Amino acid sequence: MQTTATTADPLVERLRTLLGRDAVLANPSDLVVYECDAFTVEKKRPEVVVFPTSTEQVAAVVRLCKETETPFLARGAGTSLAGGCLPVGGGVIISLSRMKKVHEINIRDRYAVVDPGVVNLQLTKLVQAQGYHFAPDPSSQSASTIGGNSSTNAGGPHTLKYGVTVNHVLGLEIVLPDGTIVRTGGPAGDPTGYDMTGVIVGAEGTFGVVTKIWVRLTPLPPAVRTLLGIFDSIDDATNTITEIIAAGIIPAALEMIDIVILEAVEAAFHFGFPLDAEAVLIMEVDGLDAGLDREAERITEFARKNNAREVRKAATEAERLLLWKCRKQAFGALGRIAPSLCTQDGVVPRTKLPHMLRRAREIGAKYGLRIGNVFHAGDGNIHPLLLFDERDPDQVKRVFAASNEILDECIACGGSVTGEHGIGVEKLDFMPKLFAPVDLEQMLRLRRAFNPDNLCSPHKMFPTAGACVERARPARKAAI
Amino acid sequence: MSSDTLTIDGVGPMPVECPASVAELRDVVRRCATDGTAIYPVGGGTLLDYGTPPARPGIALSTGKLDQVIDFPARDMTITVQAGITVARLNEITKAERLWLPIDVPNPETATLGGSIAANVSGPRRYGYGTFRDYVIGVTLVNDRGEETKAGGRVVKNVAGYDLMKLYTGSLGTLGVITQVTLKLKPMPEAWASCLFFCGRHQLAQALELLHRTATRPSAISFAWFHQHDKTADHWAFVVVFEGNSEAVTWQQEQLRQELGASGIPAPDGNRGEGIGPEQNFGLESWIIFRANLRPSSAAGFCARAAESGNVALRCVAGGAVVRGGITADHYTMGDFARMLSNILEAANATDGNVLVERCPPEWKKSLAVWGRPPSDLALQKAVKRALDPNSVFNPGRFVTDAF
Repeated sequence: MQTTATTADPLVERLRTLLGRDAVLANPSDLVVYECDAFTVEKKRPEVVVFPTSTEQVAAVVRLCKETETPFLARGAGTSLAGGCLPVGGGVIISLSRMKKVHEINIRDRYAVVDPGVVNLQLTKLVQAQGYHFAPDPSSQSASTIGGNSSTNAGGPHTLKYGVTVNHVLGLEIVLPDGTIVRTGGPAGDPTGYDMTGVIVGAEGTFGVVTKIWVRLTPLPPAVRTLLGIFDSIDDATNTITEIIAAGIIPAALEMIDIVILEAVEAAFHFGFPLDAEAVLIMEVDGLDAGLDREAERITEFARKNNAREVRKAATEAERLLLWKCRKQAFGALGRIAPSLCTQDGVVPRTKLPHMLRRAREIGAKYGLRIGNVFHAGDGNIHPLLLFDERDPDQVKRVFAASNEILDECIACGGSVTGEHGIGVEKLDFMPKLFAPVDLEQMLRLRRAFNPDNLCSPHKMFPTAGACVERARPARKAAI
Repeated sequence: MSSDTLTIDGVGPMPVECPASVAELRDVVRRCATDGTAIYPVGGGTLLDYGTPPARPGIALSTGKLDQVIDFPARDMTITVQAGITVARLNEITKAERLWLPIDVPNPETATLGGSIAANVSGPRRYGYGTFRDYVIGVTLVNDRGEETKAGGRVVKNVAGYDLMKLYTGSLGTLGVITQVTLKLKPMPEAWASCLFFCGRHQLAQALELLHRTATRPSAISFAWFHQHDKTADHWAFVVVFEGNSEAVTWQQEQLRQELGASGIPAPDGNRGEGIGPEQNFGLESWIIFRANLRPSSAAGFCARAAESGNVALRCVAGGAVVRGGITADHYTMGDFARMLSNILEAANATDGNVLVERCPPEWKKSLAVWGRPPSDLALQKAVKRALDPNSVFNPGRFVTDAF
């Protein structure tokens, strides 16, 4: 009989007893997939990956980890761009991909109860016919899970008007790092006591393993107008954004795509983007039909005033959907124009966008790198994409330097180094630049209340000594 | 706070400290933390009855002098202010730039922003705009060590670090003193319109169902019921507000009228105007006040039960997610209230809801379930309190305590 070293591992054997043989992966070749997520710079192979199917199984695994002092962390679809699913301390990855039941849909009280492994878009598809949707719509929504969205407090294009994930999470069930199962919040008014739900969402999985989520369902807008503004200069496009917001208009989405990205997107999807334009803006307003045309006209005026060459209106729903497909799959299309890319996630106050984009361009020129931009302009959340070839170590070095300089500039503008991807392991070094030691200590005190032994996703979010993983090269993949 | 002493929920008089700077406030906290004096943070003092009574005497620490605007980049639609600013002054400043914080706070002339956040105050507009947890994007808190700690930032989208804004919102001053806040603001609507209507006791469920299904998108819903001696006898009085562009507002007012008419509820009244709709008068004056957090679908049943239980006025917001009630009788014993409370608590608990006592004579609180049914995550909440305030410097006895 063939045996491997891993099957002799008592932890693996006990996990197999708890969950069954088909729910435990310990063969090194099977584990390769789990050594990183969509942030591929750093890799670390877990000792074992488990696939529980119930809260009780998750709790049993966590108790075993505590008993054996084994680090563990939860993983959804693994689309994190910041290394949120990187098992820095090794140990057990708890994959929630087999927990994908929708437990309840309650239209009258406007909520649903879902397992963490339910894919974001699936939920919207389930409730769409009844006139509702799950509002957070990260670009990864056809793959990423609601558990992962909740842990990272994911954003997306339409969060400009509808808010980010935390604004749509009403309650949670979580397995704490000591193995106890706790329920927080719920669908009735305000919670009694502290808003534990609000602080667990966005904790990037460092407070425990979320096993059930009460999410808000939002009525679909009855009408929508989608406009495409075409600009000969980035400054004109960013000034348009700033003026729309400053005029008190909150579009449902306000997204910018620049010439670098347009070229790749056009080659992939043949939308009909002009290839000599410097930038396009997708501008969408939604709500009741009454008054919506006037709102669209006002936006068009701002674009024209800022020298838009043309403002097109999506004539049909099919055209509108194609436009959004171009936006949401832009990252994927970039494979056509560069072997590798590094995507950043900075935030600046909205009025600083024109300045910030000019600086990003200058930084790109300084390091001899091509930088594309496709981002949530209305929120001030930029995603510069640094194009390079990872086989050239000198380029790799320059990508690191340029990324850091861009993020430092975001901080200098009064912004942040992450609007929606998270700190993960990628941005650990920036935490001391954003926060004073007393601020970080206050956060660590809170973490100790949940996770006193720090076995649950150790070495994330806060820089700690001795947690360095070899940083070989910048991320090359990005959101789907 | 101008008085030199303050009695909180029957405990006092306690000296009031009113530091003129954050540095002075930190000194007070450090001094108290060292000698074991309890600190009871106060803003405008509008909700001092809220909570269980103080566990030990101490000082009242007022943020009243910390009322400066730190930064107001209007075109970014954010504002950073010190926590002691009154809500009325904040509104005045933001409205000058045609921006606003769309949260209804009772007694805005007195209530401070910090106090309103600590108590997580909300009103009828929570239906369309949400609550403080949706608007606080940055916070500074002086902790139990007297340190000035920050979380969040000044940009509208930011996931760096733990979201302590959520934890502090509604924590009733038990984790520290909020000294500075950054808020996300909304543009002021162009126009508003309202529908005012009455319905009978037995039509409440139907009216709420209609508002759930309506093709309109109300920004505020409130409905009130008074006891049988009141002139609006046996009727629910509804106020539904629409805010937004003028075409949509006009269309909605007419649409809701038609929807109501079609279901046999006449909508006799309504107003309209420019800008923001009228201040929502949802305050409730009574010596005994309770607050229920409910699923909207169970509001009608809950209200019927509460109304049967005694002499009570009810004010409800957000489709029934929050129902507040006040006892209208002058003579009402603790026994009367305890019986009523256990009756309505049962009704609320049956559908995941809860009932809290916002105000009653302090001496009753020892015997009443002031916080209703303990939340299922109470042990975790206590662990958080122990981690951030291990010596129980802030508001001991008032919230997230063993009596909770």
